[in-house]
This record gives sequence, C-alpha cells and structure tokens, in this order.
Amino acid sequence: MLRKLQRKTLIPAQIAGYALTLLVGVAIVLLAVQVYCDLKPLLDSKTDVFSAHTVTVSKNVTVFKTANKEGLYFSEKELKRLKEQEFVKEVAQFNSATFNTSAAISFDGQRMSTDLFFESVPDSYLDIESDEWQWDSTSDFLPIIIPEDYLNLYNFGFAESQSLPVVSPAVLSQVTFSIFVEGNGKSKVYNSRIVGLTGKINSILVPEDFLRWANSEFGSAEEKGSSRLLVEFSDASDERIPQYFEANGLNINKSELETSKMAFFFKLAMLFVTVIAVIIIVLSVAFIIMSMNLIVQRNREMFVNLHNIGYSVKDISRFYKVVVSVITVVDLLLAVLLVLWVRGMYIDRMSALFQTGGGFMPMLAGTAVLMALLLVVCNLFTGRVIKNITNRQ
Amino acid sequence: MSESEVAGSDIYLQPSVVFEQGRSYLVRARSGHGKTSLLNFIYGISGQYDGEVVLTENGERRTESGERRADGATHPAALFFVHRFATGTATGSSFSPLREGMANARTENELRTRVLSFMFQDLGLFPQLTAMENVQLKNRLTDFKSDAEIEAMLDALLPEGKKHQPVATLSLGQRQRVAAVRALCQPFKIILMDEPFSHIDSENARCVADMVMGEVGRQGAGLIVTALDAIDYFPFDVTYNL
Repeated sequence: MLRKLQRKTLIPAQIAGYALTLLVGVAIVLLAVQVYCDLKPLLDSKTDVFSAHTVTVSKNVTVFKTANKEGLYFSEKELKRLKEQEFVKEVAQFNSATFNTSAAISFDGQRMSTDLFFESVPDSYLDIESDEWQWDSTSDFLPIIIPEDYLNLYNFGFAESQSLPVVSPAVLSQVTFSIFVEGNGKSKVYNSRIVGLTGKINSILVPEDFLRWANSEFGSAEEKGSSRLLVEFSDASDERIPQYFEANGLNINKSELETSKMAFFFKLAMLFVTVIAVIIIVLSVAFIIMSMNLIVQRNREMFVNLHNIGYSVKDISRFYKVVVSVITVVDLLLAVLLVLWVRGMYIDRMSALFQTGGGFMPMLAGTAVLMALLLVVCNLFTGRVIKNITNRQ
Repeated sequence: MSESEVAGSDIYLQPSVVFEQGRSYLVRARSGHGKTSLLNFIYGISGQYDGEVVLTENGERRTESGERRADGATHPAALFFVHRFATGTATGSSFSPLREGMANARTENELRTRVLSFMFQDLGLFPQLTAMENVQLKNRLTDFKSDAEIEAMLDALLPEGKKHQPVATLSLGQRQRVAAVRALCQPFKIILMDEPFSHIDSENARCVADMVMGEVGRQGAGLIVTALDAIDYFPFDVTYNL
C-alpha cells in the first residue's frame, strides 16, 4: 500500500539521469584505476630491468673542463651525495684502463691495427649472458663486448657508403683478433673475440677482474676515479630524477628517462581523468539528492499525512532508500562489468607488448569503497530530507 | 492569537485543564478560535504555543526534568494537563506530550499508533488510494482490525461499492466517514475528532458516532470532539468553550 502510494511519486527521468551519470562517473574512475594497475609494471619499469632502472651518468663536458679533465671525475663526496638520494638504489663505477691497448687484425695478408680503450662495469649491469664472458689469468683469451651501435654504425653507415659487405652479429663473433696490452715496461698479447653486443652501455668492455688485474700489472699508479657512473634507480619514473641531474650538471642519457617522463604525464592524465570522474560522481549524487528534495516538496502533503497517522520517518524513507540503494549497487556492478569488458579489449594487445599486472583487486576494492560511500551519503540525505519535512512546525 | 482573542476561554490561559481517559469532552468554538490548534498541540503536530502539554500514564507524570513521580491524582490512565495556551508565540517553554510527556520508551509514532488517535479536520486521506486501502494503510501499522472488520465498518457507513473506489472520487461526506473508520483502526487512550460531522447528514453522523462510541467504550478510552455548535450525537461529560 505504502509502496503503491510512493511508487507514483518517483520521477523516472530523474532516476534514469542519476543512474546514467553515476554509471559514467564510476566507470571512468574504475577504468582509470584498472588501467593504472595494468600499466603499473610498465610505469615501474619492471618489464625491462635494465633500461629504465639503470642509466649511465657522466658530467657535462664544458669549455672549462676540456683542458682540466679533473672536473669530469666524480669525487668521493659527489658519489656519497648521489647515493643518498631517495630514488637511487645503487651506484656503480666504470673502471677504465690506465694502460695502452691496441687491437690488430690480419686480413688477406694485410695487417690492420687500431688504438683502443677498455672499460669495465660489474657483470650484474650487463644485458648479455655469455659463457665466454670470463677471464682466466692462465689463458690468453680476452672476451670483449662492444656497443650494438658500433655494428650498426658500420653496417648502415660505413659499409653502405664504402660498398663494403655488412656483418651480422654471428659473423662478427667469429672474427678473432689480437689485443696488445702495454705499460709499466711490460706487454702482453691476447687472442680476442667479440662475445656480445650491448645496447645499454656505450663503451668497449672487458671483464672486470681482467681490468683490475691489468691495471695493477700495466697501469699507472695514479687513481683517477670514475668519469662515468652506472646509477640504478628504485623507481625510474620518479619525477625528481631529471630535476636532480639537471640541477647538478650531470649528463644522463635522455632517452633512457623517456619512460619516466611518459610515466609522469600518464600519471598526470590519469589524475586529471579521475578528478573529472569524481566530479561527475559528486554531481550525480547532488542530482539525486535534489531530485529527492523535489519529490518530497511535490508530495509534501502525502509525507506529512503519513507521518501524522503514525508512519515513522524510517518507514516513509525506506522505499526511497531502497530505490536509490538498488540503483547505486546495480550501477556499480554494471560499471565493474563495463570496465572488465573494456579491459578485455585492450589487455591482449597490451600483454603482447609487455608484462601487465596488478589484477583486479584495487579496482574491486575501489568499487567496494565507492559503494559504501555512496550508499551512506545517499541514504543519509534521503532520510534527512524526509525528516525535515515531517518535523513538527 | 492574542490574549484578548482567547479571553474567557475555558482552556487557553487557564492554569490547567485536564482531559481524562474514559470521559468525553466537547470543545466548542466558532471557527478560527483554535480548535484545530488545540488538537494539534495535544497530538504533537504543532509546537507553536507557550505552556506545556503533559501526558500522564497510570497516575504518574513525567516532568520536564525527566523524573517520574507520583502525581497524587486519582487519574485512571492517560490524561492531559494543559497549561496557559497562547498560540503564535513559540518559545523555549513549549512542551510537547509526544516528545517528552510520556515514559521514555515511547516514540512519536508509538504514541500515534497506540495512545492517541486523531481524525483530522482536513481528513489526511490519500486521494489516489481507495477507501479500503486508506484504512488498511493505517491498520498495517497497528494490526488492530482484520480486513473483514474494516470492510464491515466501511459497508456500514458508505454506499454500496464505494469502498473500492479511489478516495478522490468520493464526496466530502463520504471521505469524512472513511477518515472516521481509519481513526478507529488503532488502540488509543484518547481519540481526537476535529469537526467530524461538518459534511455529514444527521443520520450518517449518528451512525459514525455510534461506531466511535462503541470503540471508545470497548477500549475504555477518552474522547475529545471539536465542533462549532453543540452536537448531541455523543454523550459528553464535559463541554469546554474555547
């Protein structure tokens, strides 16, 4: 009876308006949460451990430093400061050879030779796994890693212009050559091969224990320190990273920080979208509360009559609370389905590109929180609107 | 209402007026002299008065300080103590029986479904519901009469077939009778009737009055009726001139 009476007071267009705006708002918020979760591994750069987590850092070469190279080296103090930064997980130094080296290759009876330099980094920073990447003090074999760019430079630049044959990485690794090491009045010849190409470190690398040994054997005594550092970040998308390096005149491979910039803008866009969606939700709630107000004002007499014959505010408002609650719950469930459907459309393509993750928990938790919040707010206001009108004059 | 308007009233500005359970009262006044207001004060719909309205139960009276104490009076059960009514000047001293007058556990809605019944002057019916549904809507709260009893009561007062028509299609007199039936569908200590017969012919009025008195007698309740002139359908114990 009470329901029959109250059903007619509802305004379908307004109920639909609330349902629609709430659905849009909630779906956008939940989708933002879900997309964020799915992209989080990419943002945190967990997919490609090396690229975004570790960068090569050097000091800017300026006019004043060309003559006095001391300024290019990192002092103990600077290293310590860098290590203290929150976003820095670990700092490793490039070791450079302090002796003279040259490589020679015999080809068609002709002997070509070139001066070289060596550097080394801790093995854990390398993107190459090779059994040959080992140095044994008893053996004459010295493995070398060169940058991928060198081969590309040759293949696509030099070979092209000089009509020379191109070389594949496999072929390159078959070529053997000799390495001359000289210093402190001693010298030694090694057989050498390129055992890998690195896309990450722009230097000619030898195993670290070889370099340490060779530096003490052939090198000059003076410790020069490092001019290049490998810095590992805890979160490469941290916005403070570019700021810090900019402020301290440090040179950092910019492309390696593209992710962090992208992540920053992505987060900004997400925040923006979420704020808009939250505003939509707030407006939809305001809308349903105003709608309730209108219903109550329109049917003032009916509500007062009901109250006068003994119906409590709770009895009178129950129907409206149930209607609003049901719409809210159904809306949120619909929004979850909508988000899952949209996710289904992008997730396949996305997971082909990188490892997605996160799962649904944050999105579902968000749904639960939103639902609880909306139910409390809507029911509270509906009850209050009806209580106000039935209050004794 | 100013003091000059209520001068000579048997109720307003009197030190106290008591309505007792088990007795019948007629409150008589010309229109505009506060009959409906008085009932609204008692029922707790309006708080626009100075003074206090107190509902006592079992000879005990709850005071403003919230303590229960024996009144010393020999009142059988519910009764009202009306003190110095003057409408239109709501102040902090207004005291509603429905909020504070009864024992703590009683809520406004309990009072309106268990203690006081009110047949409103404007009837307070729902025009979109049928006569039967209007009564059932009240009875659902109290579960006091069976559907058969309600139908019998309506049949006794309404022309054939009217009880299942929307109240909007009924005449004013018919609606008044529906409202009267509705007011009887609850337990009460006192029933308030605001000009119940203003649109009913004397024959039907007697019918309604008999039905009301039957229920009042069964429940051992009190009756307060307001009217413009003296009416003789009820055996009143006391007549107040407002």
